Amino acid sequence: MLLRCRIPLAHFELDIEVSFDARLASIFGPSGSGKTTLLDAIAGLRNITTGEIEIDGRTLFSSARGINRPPQERGVGYVPQEGALFPHLSVRKNILFGAGRSTGTSYARDIGVEHVLSVLEIGGLLDRPVTKLSGGETQRVALARAILSQPRLLLLDEPLASLDLGLRERILPYLARVRDEFKIPMIYVTHNLTEVLTLADWVLMIKQGQLITQGIPREALRSSHAILEIPEEQFENVFTVSLVDSDAEAGRSKVRLQSGEELFIPYLSRPGSDTIQIRISADDILVAIKRPEGISAGNVLPGTVRRIDAINGQAMVTVAAGDEFYARLTASAVKRLGLQEETPVFLIMKTRSFRSL
Amino acid sequence: MLIFSIETWRITLFSISVGLAATLLILPFGIALAWLFARKEWPLKSVLETIVLLPLVMPPVSTGLILLKIFGRRSPLGQWLYERGIEIVFNWKGVLIAMSVMSFPLLVRSVRTSFAEVNLRLEQIAATLGASPLRIFFVITIPLAYKGIVAGALLAFSRALGEFGATILLAGNIPGETQTLSLAIYNFVQLGKDPEAYTLLAITVALAFVFVWCSEWLVRTGRKT
Repeated sequence: MLLRCRIPLAHFELDIEVSFDARLASIFGPSGSGKTTLLDAIAGLRNITTGEIEIDGRTLFSSARGINRPPQERGVGYVPQEGALFPHLSVRKNILFGAGRSTGTSYARDIGVEHVLSVLEIGGLLDRPVTKLSGGETQRVALARAILSQPRLLLLDEPLASLDLGLRERILPYLARVRDEFKIPMIYVTHNLTEVLTLADWVLMIKQGQLITQGIPREALRSSHAILEIPEEQFENVFTVSLVDSDAEAGRSKVRLQSGEELFIPYLSRPGSDTIQIRISADDILVAIKRPEGISAGNVLPGTVRRIDAINGQAMVTVAAGDEFYARLTASAVKRLGLQEETPVFLIMKTRSFRSL
Repeated sequence: MLIFSIETWRITLFSISVGLAATLLILPFGIALAWLFARKEWPLKSVLETIVLLPLVMPPVSTGLILLKIFGRRSPLGQWLYERGIEIVFNWKGVLIAMSVMSFPLLVRSVRTSFAEVNLRLEQIAATLGASPLRIFFVITIPLAYKGIVAGALLAFSRALGEFGATILLAGNIPGETQTLSLAIYNFVQLGKDPEAYTLLAITVALAFVFVWCSEWLVRTGRKT
């Protein structure tokens, strides 16, 4: 799928061209950077005076050619931040609101109601009034409603922003399942890096309406421009791993990275072959130039420095140790250890520094 | 002492019937106009808004005189209607027109506020789900604003029942034909028939109390959505 947008925002003209293959592109940036404006423009909810929006060669808006399709004809599903469920309708009526869409378009993939209900696990909520739903349930119902309108593109505007941390981690896997099950290209707006690294296979980083960088998340986000824009606590490594074994008494589980390396993470009571995602902050990884001894950390991985991106006294060090790890150090630490490309190093990671999704 | 004679009941029934008819008559126009005011922008919109509100603040007698000039047999419109066998002035239709015109601003104001309180985002999302503007209006906007609409209709109805100045100019004060509650009270007082006047007074107070109370309750509970 190809999305081309040229949209004037408050201070800049946002000009993006994204090509992605039936998956999830994320728009990442701080609040007030024009992300919601962009989604509104794509969905046709905001009047823009100049510009062009095109999906898969189909023009939704073009000021030059005088085209401005109404939202009804765009085939763009939209899940806004607050869910925006219709408060006077039951969950069932909300979900089925757009299901009867008969635009005669060929893009409809005929996604079944039962399928959506089971993927999002909301079958039990159907007869509830929407005012009696929790925050997480509201988001899942809003997602189901948008999916069942058989859109050719799904827009999600910070769907997890209004939820607390614990709930966010419980809803995140649902988003991943939606991405994998229904094959609807998604544009996902967020200011949370974990969500980008967990869900997206393409990221557009924007700030005040300007595109800073775009690319595959793990690569795009370590560029020196990007590092400056990412909130301190958010720079994380996210890995997809398989569970090898779990030892409740030792308080840890062993997982295997895609490269075959094994790591210890806090104890998880899940069945064997499960694939899970784990993450560790770039600030929680220690770098040593000699193998350390007599330390409590459960993970010591040998690796090689691939890249050092330094800016404003901090350095993002990319280390190949099977998979690629990002460690954020001070410029002084890089200097003290004499780190440069190809330096052999050891990564030290506490078992308890890992979190699983 | 109150006198609930056949005549007082007849006057009450006449007032309520014509008031109800006036309310039903202006409801579709009021809702449509309120929606336009709440959702659309056009040049000189404020001029139209002001004109619609005029009967609310103008002396009702002035409004009545304007209506008389518009619908009187000597006006082009009055003439045109007369040729088709319709006469507005000095019969119940005059009462209907006077009540409608005087209640219209209250209805529009109330309904407009309730439309403005409906979250625009909900209508937008409905559009992305493929709903036509008409479906959005009837399935999203109206149900979410219905309490305000009912409150506005009640208010308009109460205003219609209290109408005096415009009615007396356009329809006259003809017992048994155009005499409403307000006109009858005035009449009874003039004739020194105090018990009859007080009876009708009691009825108007009771009706007004119920309507305003219901209307306020609806507006209060309607805000929650």
